[in-house]
Amino acid sequence: MFEPCTDIVCSFWSMLNQGPMTLTIILHTLIVLPMIWIYFDEKKKLQSGE
Amino acid sequence: MENKPTSVWTSNRFWRRSATWITGVAAVLLILLTFDSMGQMQMGTAEDIQNKVTKRIPSPVVINYKIDYVLDPYRGHEVPIIGGKTVDSATGKVSSKFEEKEKFFGRDDWSEEEARALIHKGKLTIQAKNCMDCHTLLGNGAYYAPDLTKAWLDPAWSSEGPLQAMTGANSKEEAMATFLQNPDKYPTHERMMPNLGITPEEAKAVVAYLKFMSAIDTNGFPRNFGKIKGAVDARK
Amino acid sequence: MQGNRLYEGQKLALKYFTVAIVLFGAQLLFGLIAAIQYLYPSFLFNTLDFSIARMVHINALVVWLLYAMIGAVYWLLPDEAGVEVVGVKLGTLAFYILTAAVAVVVLVYIFVQVGPGNEMTLWLITEGREYIEAPRWADIGIVAVVLVFLYNVYATVLKGKHSGILVVLMADLIALAGLYLAGMFYTDNIAVDQYWWWWVVHLWVEATWEVYVAAVGGYILIKTLNANRQVVEMWLWIEVAMMFGSGILGLGHHYFWIGTPEYWWEIGALFSALEPVPLVGLFVHVLYDWGKERGKGNSIKNIPAFAWLTVETFGNFLGAGVWGFMHTLPQINLYTHGTQWPAAHGHLAFFGAYVAIMISAIYLAVQGKAGLKEMKMTKAGWWAISLITVGVLLMTVSLTLSAYTQTMVERGMHGATWEGYFIAQANKWFVQGMGWRLASGLAVVAGYALLVYDLLTVTKKQPAEVTEGEAAVQTA
Repeated sequence: MFEPCTDIVCSFWSMLNQGPMTLTIILHTLIVLPMIWIYFDEKKKLQSGE
Repeated sequence: MENKPTSVWTSNRFWRRSATWITGVAAVLLILLTFDSMGQMQMGTAEDIQNKVTKRIPSPVVINYKIDYVLDPYRGHEVPIIGGKTVDSATGKVSSKFEEKEKFFGRDDWSEEEARALIHKGKLTIQAKNCMDCHTLLGNGAYYAPDLTKAWLDPAWSSEGPLQAMTGANSKEEAMATFLQNPDKYPTHERMMPNLGITPEEAKAVVAYLKFMSAIDTNGFPRNFGKIKGAVDARK
Repeated sequence: MQGNRLYEGQKLALKYFTVAIVLFGAQLLFGLIAAIQYLYPSFLFNTLDFSIARMVHINALVVWLLYAMIGAVYWLLPDEAGVEVVGVKLGTLAFYILTAAVAVVVLVYIFVQVGPGNEMTLWLITEGREYIEAPRWADIGIVAVVLVFLYNVYATVLKGKHSGILVVLMADLIALAGLYLAGMFYTDNIAVDQYWWWWVVHLWVEATWEVYVAAVGGYILIKTLNANRQVVEMWLWIEVAMMFGSGILGLGHHYFWIGTPEYWWEIGALFSALEPVPLVGLFVHVLYDWGKERGKGNSIKNIPAFAWLTVETFGNFLGAGVWGFMHTLPQINLYTHGTQWPAAHGHLAFFGAYVAIMISAIYLAVQGKAGLKEMKMTKAGWWAISLITVGVLLMTVSLTLSAYTQTMVERGMHGATWEGYFIAQANKWFVQGMGWRLASGLAVVAGYALLVYDLLTVTKKQPAEVTEGEAAVQTA
């Protein structure tokens, strides 16, 4: 399950790098997920007629 | 004048806030990653070599050592090997021994200071002569001439190779330096390197830089360098 | 002459556009020399070598695009903000200083070419770093000129209306200018050198320039189609989100092989794989707006500008998007990096993403200068856009063929050595690709000649009903 890091230096980012997709999915999630909160916040404002 | 949006998806403010957020986080992530990468990319020191610590960009004193480029099954690609290799029997991991020396212009005791001065001059010359607008270095540059990333290890410059014989020199570094000073006198193909007025000191420094560059860990680029012999074109 | 209806800022824009078109010609000329040298290496050997021809070719490209970009901002700025450009005199002074500096740099490139290996060469002759070879003194000059430009943009917008297009441009231009600083230092460590060098090159052409194009493209849509501003600006923000979201970390695809940690493989591969997405968005958006306006029976106000904008959307998606994606995964890039692949991609991407839209903006200015309400395509204009577009597409296909051959023969079969390199360069498929590239380059040069002719004469060749009863387009 857990892939050992084979790079010269095993930093935080290399640990997250578990083969294709893992690291990018984590970073993409970090980037995109809060948009859900922005969405609902905007929806609330829209309904209250702001 | 503005029409009231009926859905969040068509609201300009939603997209503006999202764009701001996304750009901000991407920029912060890039900065964090840059700090981590910069830490790993600092040039090593002679002390690292003494302590047998592998660095992505080693100390310039590697010019005193024999450099090789071999497949590391543990990392899944080729890695530069400085001064001979050891193989870990459990993982197959290949590492540098930092022991086997190789003379560079007749010496294998270049001090850290001397080696640094040499590659400093070499890098300045590489920029001043615009090498990158014909050659690629670490694969970046123009595509009019061969890639120089591992040029130091090119079999054509070895003692059996045609290029060393062409210049009449007795060692790889002297052959390369001779060629660099008068490249148009040693045409290898119809396409030649122009005479860039490279002085003997500059030529020596550039060759030192090439040797140093061949010891940089490029994650296995270029692949199979100098390993395939006698390949035949499918159809010319 | 209706020229007096122009804002002073727009007159300055015309100056920028003029120099841009001249430098575009220089770019093509030196590109032609380099293309000839691939086939006939003795051409100008030891006089004007490939390295010099190629350096002038790519530097003229970058500089003329920057000129056109500054010009387009000066053109739309007073129009969007509704006020005259603040500091236009200072801007004009900066224009002359910049142009004099560019002339000196180019003359030094061509006549001095290279220098001894010391710091002095880096300060006075060349820094020898692809795309940003300009010597250090010119770097400092460029920064000073850009600061004047930024001041003018900010001061004007703060005084006038803050449209969404202007807000995006303000944020984008400051990032664009700031990034240039990352390319202004020297280090012995070539890996660190290239790391920061890519900050300038990639974060310009794959992030800030793309966002710039989206903003200016939005303005052109409003001008040529009367597109709904609110819809245009919504799309603009979506594009900003997607371009910066994919482009900033997409930088990682340049960090596969330059001495950087291995985790960049994954970041670079998958973020940059998403870079085409906003380009598709841009493409759909333009065609959608076109269809909608045609449905309402509205005519296009400037057909040449709109035609070039359409070329831009296609070219950007194909050149930057598809051709970029084809070699962005590290397993592929290990073999294609440093071959003709990036050359094929670069030609179509720069043309599609930037050249086309800048020509579109220039046509808009030509129309505005003459005060025409509508502008039709002339025969010369039609031939110009066809020859240039088809020429660049053919050039890209030829380079791609050469690139395949080089990748397979040099990298795949011969392990990337000196010998392998020359075996691949001599391969018939490679050489013929280079031949077609030269032929298509000649087509582009012919198209360029027609383009210059058309830009100078297009307003005089409009049918009578169009020129009658004109109202100033830009003050409407």
